[in-house]
This record gives sequence, structure tokens and C-alpha cells, in this order.
Amino acid sequence: MNKSQRITLYFLVLIASAAWIVLSAEPNAAGTATTRAPQAGFSAPDFTLQTTSGETYTLSDLKGNAVLVNLWATWCPPCRAEMPAMQKLYEEYKDQGFVVLAVNSTVQDNPLEIPPFLEEFGITFPVLLDHTGDVTRAYQVRSLPSTYFINRLGIITEVVIGGPMSEALLRTRIEEALK
Amino acid sequence: MLATFQNLFAPPRHMILLVLAAWLGLTLAEKYAERHRISKDDLNNITFYGLIAFIVGGRLSFVLQNISAFIKSPLGVISINPDLFDSVGGIIVAILVAFAYGQRKNLALWSTLDALTPFFAVIAVGLGLSHLAAGTAFGNPTELPWGIDLWSATRHPTQIYATLASLLTLGLIWFLKAHPRPGVLFLIFTAVTAFSQLIIHTFRADTPLFLDGYRQAQVFAWIILAVSFAALEARLKSETK
Repeated sequence: MNKSQRITLYFLVLIASAAWIVLSAEPNAAGTATTRAPQAGFSAPDFTLQTTSGETYTLSDLKGNAVLVNLWATWCPPCRAEMPAMQKLYEEYKDQGFVVLAVNSTVQDNPLEIPPFLEEFGITFPVLLDHTGDVTRAYQVRSLPSTYFINRLGIITEVVIGGPMSEALLRTRIEEALK
Repeated sequence: MLATFQNLFAPPRHMILLVLAAWLGLTLAEKYAERHRISKDDLNNITFYGLIAFIVGGRLSFVLQNISAFIKSPLGVISINPDLFDSVGGIIVAILVAFAYGQRKNLALWSTLDALTPFFAVIAVGLGLSHLAAGTAFGNPTELPWGIDLWSATRHPTQIYATLASLLTLGLIWFLKAHPRPGVLFLIFTAVTAFSQLIIHTFRADTPLFLDGYRQAQVFAWIILAVSFAALEARLKSETK
């Protein structure tokens, strides 16, 4: 291929690519925020669960707050390891509209071990019981812990699979969700 | 089959695919390094320092961008959480360190980039597969028969499009690996990758939009494509003088 043929090819490709960009633009793109899915950018799947003391929480009722949904189990070592940091930062940020919903995947846990666990770590945030596994399935949990940071509009801003999450990681994600 | 793959490499195990790709890519690059007049040792060293710089640079960049969080929790700087990472910062630091190493060892820039091209090409395949495993880089909803069920919809399998495009690109650079002009192999790889990303991003649902619905990634890919063409022509011209 000689020089003029190459230059012609470059220009044709660049013009065709530019035209493709213009033609494929989506001025009225709906985005992902209107769809519910357990992934960053999507609206968080809603749920209603009860705490160990029988209090009921519905995720969508907490719109206007930044919410951390943490799926965990008592037998899971990284879940245990990240609890103190979550408790500390819950105390630090709760006045700014930060809520922690610790959803125990009760379907794969022993409910009798939950109260001593909460006592051991001095947990004061709501701990919800997923007896049926519906929330565990709705959030497509494959590893514990799995943590979802949800902003004030109910959109998931970040998903952290596995753990334990460090205090610094929690801080950066909480501050992002609170914006 | 897709469900089995996604279960097997569910996050955080999807990172294994990237590590495997890096290892395979380096093995492949090593095999043909001397064809580009780069020794295996130099290739291994530049990749090793680049990867270390990517890891350290990515963490440092993240720390600097979130300095207030780390002032309150300083031990977080050495935390093992892979999420405390800025990949763009990591790439910039890796390029700077690899460039500095190349200068110190008097390695020819274009020949080194050519020698590293198989490594980049295999990493691109691994990246597509890791996105498929994690469900990231997902596509727009579609009714096409090859759509995959992901995030509450049947979507374009953009991760599979990206993996196939990367495999085709790998095949192309394999075919062109004996090109005698330094830089041509790398620049063809860059141009083809930019062009394929420009097309694939049309079907991506997670691409940020700007102005009147234009996709940022497509515009960025177009600029890379134009720069690659200009550099390619300059390389061919310099060699024919």
C-alpha cells in the first residue's frame, strides 16, 4: 500500500468513525438508574425485613439517607473482622444521614449465634434477618460479606465483594454515598 | 455455560483471569522478544517494574484523591483491600517507571513497545473475560437472540464482543509479528483496539455521556485512533527515508 492509499484509508476510517459516534449518540438515554439490580449505577433492589427485636425496616423508606447494606453471617471470618470498623463509622456519620443495614443471611446461618455476636461487637445499627434468603438472592450474593453503598437517591454507588473492608475504604465509600 | 463461568470466577476471583492473562502475555512476549532486539531479561524487568509501579501507583493515586479519609485512618494506606485502587493513576505511574527503566537501559522505545504488544493483547483478552465474570462493562438491553441475562434484563454481551475483538486483534498482531519496521506492530495494535472499543462502546450501558448524548469513551477512542494513524505514518515515513 503506497502513502496516498494509506492516507486515504486513515481519513475514510476517521470520517466513518466520527459519523458512527454522531449517529450512535443517545440524547434521551434513560440510563441504568431506573432499573433495580445489585450493581453500581442501578437502583438498589428493595426489601422489607425484621430485626432481631422484631422491628421492621424497608430499604425504600430510607430514601434521602446514604445506606450501607452489608450481607453477612456469623461463621464468616471477614464479616467478623469488618464489624468494628462499620460500628465505628456508623457512630461517626449517622448524624449526617448515614444508615447501616446489616442483613444477616439467616438462610445460611444459625439464628441462635446472632445475639452473642452482636453483643461481642457492641453493634447498635439495625441487624436484619433474611430467613427466606430472598434478599440474599435478590442481591445475587456469591461471597460473604457483600456490601452495597447506596446514595440518597437510592442508587448503588459502589459494590464491595469480599472483605474485610478497611476503615479507610469504608470512609471513602460512605463519603461518596453521602454527597 | 455462562452461569458456570460466572460462578467459577465470581468477584473477587475474577482477578485470577487478569493474573493468568498477564502471565500468558508475558510468556508469549518473551518468546518473540529477541525478534525485536530486546533481551528476555530486559522484557521481564520492564514488565516487573511496570507491574509493581502499577500496584503501588494505583494505591498512592487513590490515597492522594481521598487524603482526608486516610488522615483519619492512616493504616488504610497498607490495607490489603484491592478496592483502594485508582487504575488510571496506576497506569500513568507504570508508564513513567517503564519509560525511565527503558531510558536507563538504553532500550529503543518503538522496539520495546513492539516486544510488549503480545503482552498488551493478551491482557486485553483477560480484561474482557474478567468483565464477563464480574458482570461489569455490561451492555444495553437488547432483543437479539445472543443477548445475555444480566442485571434484570437481556443485554448485549459487550464483554463477549470485547473478548472476541481482542482475540481477533491478537490474531492480527500474530500475523504481523515479523513486521520489520519498529513501532508498526504496536501502533497497529493501538489503532485496531481503539477502533474496536469505539464500536463496542455503542452497545455499552455504563459509558458516561456528555453534551447531547455522546459517549465519552467513543470520543476518547477516536482521538487515540487519530493519534495512532499519525504516529504510524510518521514511523513508516522515517523508515523509508
